Amino acid sequence: MKIDRRSFLSFAIGGAAGTALTPLPWKLTDDMSIWSQMWPWTPVPARGAVTVVKSACTLCPGGCGINVRKVDDRVVKIEGLPDHPVNDGSLCTLGLAGAQLLYGPRRVKTPLKKVNGRFVAISWEDALAEVSEKLSDLRAKGGAHTVACISSSDRGTVAELLARFLRVFGSPNFIRMPSSQDAYEVALYLTQGVRAIPGFDVEHSDFVLSFGSGLLDGWGSPVYLFKAHSQWRDQGGKLIQVEPRLSRTAAKADQWVPINPGTEGALALGIAGVIIKESLYDEKFVNSHSSGFQEWKRLVIDGFSPEIVSKVTGVKVTVITELARSFARANRPLATGGRGKGTSPGSLKEVLAVHFLNALVGNLGQKGGSWAVPEPEYIDWPELEMEQAASTGNQQTRIDGAGSDIYTHARYLANRLPEALLTDPGYQPVQVLFISEANPAYSLPDTTAFKDAVAKIPMKVSFSSYLDETAELADLVLPNHTYLERYEDVPAPSGYPLPIISLVRPVVEPKFNSMHTGDAVIQLAKALGGSISKAFPWDSYEECLEETLGDKWESLMEQGYWVDSEYEAPGWSEAFETASEKFEFTSREISALGNYSLVKPEGDEAFFPLVLIPFDTMRLWSGYVGSPPFLIKSVEDTLLQKNEVLVEIHAATADSLGLGSGSTAVLTTPKGKARVKIRTTEGIMPGLIALPRGLGHTANDRFLAGKGVNYNRLAGPVEDGATGHDAAWGIRARLAKA
Amino acid sequence: MSTVDEQSKAASGMDEGHIPQGVEEKKQDGSSATIILFFVFGFIASLIVGWVVFPKLLYSSRPQPVEFNHLVHNEMVDEGCESCHFFREDGSYSGVPTLAQCIDCHEEVQGDSEAEEYFVTEYVQRYREVPWLVYSRQPPCVFFPHSAHVLKAGMDCVTCHGSIGESESLRPYEQNRISRYSRDIWGHNIAGISRNSWDRMKMDDCAECHQRENVNQASVQTKRGGCFVCHH
Amino acid sequence: MKKENAKRFGMVIDLDKCTGCGSCMVACMAENNVPFREDETDKLLSVAWMRVYKLTNGKAFPDADECFLPRPCQHCEGHHGHSPCVSVCPATATDYDASTGIVSQIYTRCFGCRYCMAACPYHVRLFNWWDPVWPDGMEKMLNPDVSVRMRGVVEKCSFCFHRYQLARQQADYEERGEVAENEYQTACTQGCPAGAIVFGDLNNPDHEVTRLAQPDLSHEGKSRNPKAFRLLERLGTNTKVYYLSSREWVRRLGDNYQVKAAQHQA
Repeated sequence: MKIDRRSFLSFAIGGAAGTALTPLPWKLTDDMSIWSQMWPWTPVPARGAVTVVKSACTLCPGGCGINVRKVDDRVVKIEGLPDHPVNDGSLCTLGLAGAQLLYGPRRVKTPLKKVNGRFVAISWEDALAEVSEKLSDLRAKGGAHTVACISSSDRGTVAELLARFLRVFGSPNFIRMPSSQDAYEVALYLTQGVRAIPGFDVEHSDFVLSFGSGLLDGWGSPVYLFKAHSQWRDQGGKLIQVEPRLSRTAAKADQWVPINPGTEGALALGIAGVIIKESLYDEKFVNSHSSGFQEWKRLVIDGFSPEIVSKVTGVKVTVITELARSFARANRPLATGGRGKGTSPGSLKEVLAVHFLNALVGNLGQKGGSWAVPEPEYIDWPELEMEQAASTGNQQTRIDGAGSDIYTHARYLANRLPEALLTDPGYQPVQVLFISEANPAYSLPDTTAFKDAVAKIPMKVSFSSYLDETAELADLVLPNHTYLERYEDVPAPSGYPLPIISLVRPVVEPKFNSMHTGDAVIQLAKALGGSISKAFPWDSYEECLEETLGDKWESLMEQGYWVDSEYEAPGWSEAFETASEKFEFTSREISALGNYSLVKPEGDEAFFPLVLIPFDTMRLWSGYVGSPPFLIKSVEDTLLQKNEVLVEIHAATADSLGLGSGSTAVLTTPKGKARVKIRTTEGIMPGLIALPRGLGHTANDRFLAGKGVNYNRLAGPVEDGATGHDAAWGIRARLAKA
Repeated sequence: MSTVDEQSKAASGMDEGHIPQGVEEKKQDGSSATIILFFVFGFIASLIVGWVVFPKLLYSSRPQPVEFNHLVHNEMVDEGCESCHFFREDGSYSGVPTLAQCIDCHEEVQGDSEAEEYFVTEYVQRYREVPWLVYSRQPPCVFFPHSAHVLKAGMDCVTCHGSIGESESLRPYEQNRISRYSRDIWGHNIAGISRNSWDRMKMDDCAECHQRENVNQASVQTKRGGCFVCHH
Repeated sequence: MKKENAKRFGMVIDLDKCTGCGSCMVACMAENNVPFREDETDKLLSVAWMRVYKLTNGKAFPDADECFLPRPCQHCEGHHGHSPCVSVCPATATDYDASTGIVSQIYTRCFGCRYCMAACPYHVRLFNWWDPVWPDGMEKMLNPDVSVRMRGVVEKCSFCFHRYQLARQQADYEERGEVAENEYQTACTQGCPAGAIVFGDLNNPDHEVTRLAQPDLSHEGKSRNPKAFRLLERLGTNTKVYYLSSREWVRRLGDNYQVKAAQHQA
């Protein structure tokens, strides 16, 4: 039998005929089409039991309650906690993307030590030993006060543990990151004599006059503000936005009042003048519960007539008088200060001017008014036993000068750190710097100066969960658990009028080799022994927290929050703890600070004809936490294209510079230079350049780093004459074709 | 066949004078027999491949990680299948039990079976979940609510899962090498023939019943079942 | 074919309340396993089921004004369910469900011809040009209730239909017939901090969404609310997303306002 071509063909035909009678072709077709419907490398999430854990968000100072949805042990989604007084079931952009911070690539996975400029992993034991050895060495040499700590907050048990550690160790240098609270706290102290947190009952106000506050751009507690805004829309409340740029808040406002930047305080005083002149103010409050009114009245009427104010601010006289009348005649008017998200303190005199408007209409402590919320008092730990080294150290002048003779009223002056560290090259006033839940190397104005200054500190210890700009500068990174892996208390949401505490609780097991900063502090204290160890009588942070919260613990565990909903601000006769026991429009202390004056932006006008101002948006965050991937994804193409940021500039200004929309330009300020793209708009005053905050990261993860320009790299602080806080609202700048 | 003849004639024409006539005829006979034979070979071979070899190649077969006797368990529990395969509070179906459920009884070794001892030492004591291989796992784009079928429509487990509750051991898990799904979806019969309602779990099987029972026949495109009933 | 208790799920978005913050976009991305890449600035390529657009009134400083318009899939009903995308799909990968009013998209069925993208007047459909890749470990936050889409298929907003499936599953378990209004809400509705989005059954007069949208069923769902409009209504897409705005220039931009007014007079 010969096998030739014919027999082979025959075999093949037989095979084909046979195959057609088997399931093979049909089954293969079916399987292959199923295979092509979903490539095997596409991930498939596992199914499992769904649980929901109540917790709280720590990503901004807003203090929202969250519901974390889990499938088995995976966090799948974060949503708002229904019925939480602050956010009632909804959440902001950042909170919704929170799980990306837990699972994202920017996490620090284990303690790190910098060796020859590179990070190497070390054990917790070694890392803590290294810090405690350095600390006891310093203390023995009488340098206890050369330890400093930068923290985003000074409230809540973690911040208080750090502050307590510094105090009992012997250092006065606990520094809170700057925010508009700084100036507000001083204003409340000077006028009302109270150490309190500014609160605004926006949801019950029916006429909000905002002096540049980004009420709908992340100011205060964002979700609370959004809900209040919707309530105004339903019930006829009005919002007036005074701001040089058509921000989202301005766009949503019933009236946008464009103003020369930095002159907002003058407008507030101008409005006050009209209210006084036309006797539209609350006579009961002014006559019976205030002091220094007559003196202040003269100042305002003489110095801030509508004509003068109009010239300074660029706001028409008719607009000023109309605003004054409608504000004073509203049922529950409220004025707010603190620009944008409120990340910068601003000028005290400006905050006072705005605060006086609230006093004039008698809304202090009233429904829909401006409140002085008492500092939370649940943290009541045993008295400290102060050793010699501790008391000597605490008597030293603070490194930032806050509370000294020059800066009497300021509590914290982070903006002065670079200057303080760089002035004396011979002596190093800070030997060890702790950084907790803050990213000053990115968020403090003039980042270059901060980085230079920090480079001189022999030991920088970051407690960051993420490899951010500041952690990159550190010698040791002792990663904290993320907020989804730990316990913590969240008191006093920014701007919220009622005393409230929310509880952060571990939703999942720690994913990496991280440690709660509270535990790290307790362990450091134990290692140092003596009175320091005694000051921390707890075995763990969890024990400390449960004991501290006492009878609130149960309700916090069950409800997720504790609120004093019965809280009522004290009546006017009891509210003020000033010398006169009244609200003080002027006093010896206030007069000593001088009259209202404009804060000039840094830079020579001849060389820098334009002014660069920052703006905030809900899609970009510039604090400790940088925008996670979902937020960067949601950033508009009118703001970011590829890796280039678009600056906003008025069409006429662009024309005069020969710059078209979409063209590339070099933006120069006294602090630095950057390549930017131009976007012309009618929504900004001519002569200004607006740059968003929150871009220009160099660290964190590849989704965030390398995009756009960091405003803080181009800007610097301007010291407020009254307090020493950073009063800058912009910086002079120049744009040239690239 | 005529083509072959013509071809051979043409070939012989070319070689005329060299090859004797008889030889040519003999060759022709032999070649057609060979051709038929080869056709039959091919035919039979492909039938064997298609019906016997192909299914063996198409599916990989793995034993379950732990031996399990449904029958024994079924006799010991009070509520039948639902004792271990139950509904969660949100109405979702728990499916294959997790270790936490097994531990209720098997914290210590109960009987004298080797499988149980292996299960307790390997999984319970190490607190490892058993990586059970689920025969009836549908593709990830499918949403199958047991509540609608079992509680609302009153179907029983056997309708789709057969008599697995009475089995004394777990059969190997067979996975399609191309589609990566369990063999149970297509059914054990390679021709896809199903005699019982539990023999196959393809979309057509779902659709057939949905059409019969008039479940959401609201598609504008097909006038039959809408997609967003079972898919997400 | 059409059942008596058929639903028509729809949405009302109050543009007076919307602040353009983007929470709806992020809530949607987190809920629906939307992938992300390093560069998402080319919005024609960037997959987002919900997108917030910015409208400007075109006036010069200081009279310039802006409005923000969130745009999910409009779930067009067209004439009897013949929405623009459904009628062109050669694969029956997208379909109109007469019992819910939702335009479905089945990714495993789609082969990526993108006819539907060309047909959709609202740019709600997006093509997966790349494999969805999550940074190592981040695939843990994927939601098993929503299919992950592979490269080469079209995807779009589903009105979080999986949440309806889950709600019905629970209702069946509790042996209740119907799903309550608050049991089925989309992720964007739930996430919106301004409460600007209202979602529900437009066939149910008790639902908030119906009270706000006031659809006139004799005129293909046109709203009787003078503040309301739908996008490109004159195309006859008969969408189920209604927008509210007290500003006339917004209504004009979002809709062919004059055409609508003329029709009402006629």
